[in-house]
Amino acid sequence: MSSLSGPDVLSADERAAIEALVFPLADDEFVLAERYTEWQVRAPTLESDLALANVAQDELGHARLWYDVVADLGYDEPELLFERDPDAFYHASLCALPFETGDWADAVVRSYLYDTAEGLRLDSLAGSAYAPIANRIERITTEEEYHREHAATWIKRLCVDSEGRQTVQNAVDRLYPYALALFEPGEPTQTDVIESLGLRTESLPSLRGQWIQTTSTFFDSIDVSVPVVELPQGLPEDPGRHDPHVAAWLSLYDDFTRTYRELDRAHTPTITSEHNDG
Amino acid sequence: MIWEVFRQDEPGGYHTHCGNVHAPDREMALLFAEIQHARRKPTNSLWVVPQKEIASQTDETDRFGGTTDKTYRWVSAYNVDVEFAKEIEDSDREQRSVAGDSA
Amino acid sequence: MELQECKARAGPREFGPHDDLPREYREAATRMIQFHANSEIMGAYLERPFIRQSPSLDRKLAFSAKVQDEIGHGQLLYRAAESLGVKTREEMLDELANGEGKFLNCFHYPMTEWWETPMIAFFVDGAAMRRQATIKRTSWEPYAHAMDKICFEEGFHIKHGEHIMRELATGSRREQQLLQEAFEEWWPRILQFFGPTDDESTHHDFAAEVGLKTMSNDELRQAFLNAYLPKATEYGLEIPDEPRIREEDGRYVVEEDDLDWEEFWAVANNDYAGSHEQIDARASAHDAVAWVRATISGETA
Repeated sequence: MSSLSGPDVLSADERAAIEALVFPLADDEFVLAERYTEWQVRAPTLESDLALANVAQDELGHARLWYDVVADLGYDEPELLFERDPDAFYHASLCALPFETGDWADAVVRSYLYDTAEGLRLDSLAGSAYAPIANRIERITTEEEYHREHAATWIKRLCVDSEGRQTVQNAVDRLYPYALALFEPGEPTQTDVIESLGLRTESLPSLRGQWIQTTSTFFDSIDVSVPVVELPQGLPEDPGRHDPHVAAWLSLYDDFTRTYRELDRAHTPTITSEHNDG
Repeated sequence: MIWEVFRQDEPGGYHTHCGNVHAPDREMALLFAEIQHARRKPTNSLWVVPQKEIASQTDETDRFGGTTDKTYRWVSAYNVDVEFAKEIEDSDREQRSVAGDSA
Repeated sequence: MELQECKARAGPREFGPHDDLPREYREAATRMIQFHANSEIMGAYLERPFIRQSPSLDRKLAFSAKVQDEIGHGQLLYRAAESLGVKTREEMLDELANGEGKFLNCFHYPMTEWWETPMIAFFVDGAAMRRQATIKRTSWEPYAHAMDKICFEEGFHIKHGEHIMRELATGSRREQQLLQEAFEEWWPRILQFFGPTDDESTHHDFAAEVGLKTMSNDELRQAFLNAYLPKATEYGLEIPDEPRIREEDGRYVVEEDDLDWEEFWAVANNDYAGSHEQIDARASAHDAVAWVRATISGETA
């Protein structure tokens, strides 16, 4: 049952905890969507192009739902995206890693790893004490289920021959340590508050344990091996969140803020007047 | 074996699903479909497809068009005038009629 | 079917995959639809960087949705072309990548700045939509069916383009200037969108005789100028002095000699500098994922 009904009733500590929880959610979706859009007009077939474009738009839509939660705490879109310092983004680096040209296995493996994590994370927020978080979960979950099924189906399809399986294996080897960092907190000092307020009903290590089990079972079933990673020392040096981002994040950031900067904008145009339907 | 039947009213139209028939093979499916589904309705062409070859998905399990705000895909999101070009007016009207102008 | 009968019967949505059509018809229809499909892909290719460079989340979503629609249109059109039995989609996409496939003149030019985007998203798409609406009455039924769906979707594209243009046209003084500069650069290409006057068009007569096309280049250009020239003016854009456009008896007459037809034909033959750039980029994207297509069609191992 939600006990923190809306933005007007929050203490400073509660606001800080909500921000620490929501920024990573929003930034993960936003940055991963940016990467997915790179496949538009470059996917293997026209049909797969349409499907991945849709996944990108879904993720951008989810990012917007999460950004709207923090917008209600007093941020506008320029502050949230176009004028925020790139070091102040909280996404995990799994979302920001560049794609090697033509590495479709990376796209679908990354989506599978991410969306499996996302499903678990959303479940742990469905009973959030903060109503604007809890009431977004159902809409997002429905779309994430398509993403996960889409990714898993593609992975199985690529594994029909040994060359395809090898591309999947390479992607899993490279991405798995980065994916483990999805379960790192945005602001480690806020973790206890997030849990004691009931903003999230399960701990990050517990979610990570379930994720390891689910993904391992899946990859075992298709003869792809999952690397064994010791935590925390096995995490990459640039995992994102509160730790350093991958270098490629900076050029992505430069590109997506380019027009805004060149036109010396101070506001961001909306198409529809009302987004905040949370 | 069950065959799903698609009927086109007149040349240039779409084949739309109109029912099914039991038949042991495609030739007989066409013969049966012709009588069962095309003897009373004006028909230009018929297709038959084995029912087991049809995969399906419903809005209940997979919400078509997504569950989050996608108003940006629809004409009704953009407050610019359409009257200067008939083909844009047509598109505008067609989109609004299927969307129930929900945006 | 003899060619003579084909011409006699030609009318809206008259022919479909079950008709035994003369080779001349099938080849002409394939050429026309393949060109159209290629243009969807190459137009999308030109616009895709602006998904990332959009200056707001809403614009980004709209640009992604638009590029997605264009690929969807390509999918519909290649299927309509494939159903003529002359070329497979794979062959047509290979031709596009190796430089044999032809596509609209405007998509041979690089587009690098946000303020150029309405030139494609409003004017070029507006011109394309004008033409597409007339193709709903084409004689190849699968092409007409594709057009039903494309025209349904396309309204959002033009409105999205106009929305961006209005924002720039009512924005800062500098934004207005940049928009005007982009307009001056793109305007001659946009006027060439419908090709040269009818007597210089090589494929029109046959395409009209067999009902593939229902309006001539000149008629389409007129229809486009009637609607879109006033629009440009409405947003404060100054129409460049050249090419000269006169109004005669309620018609716009473009002084064709003011347009660079040498460049147009270089473009039409994929021989312009920009053509190489766009085609090579498309080719490397196409080749980079050939392994996936081979894997899913079972052609490896």
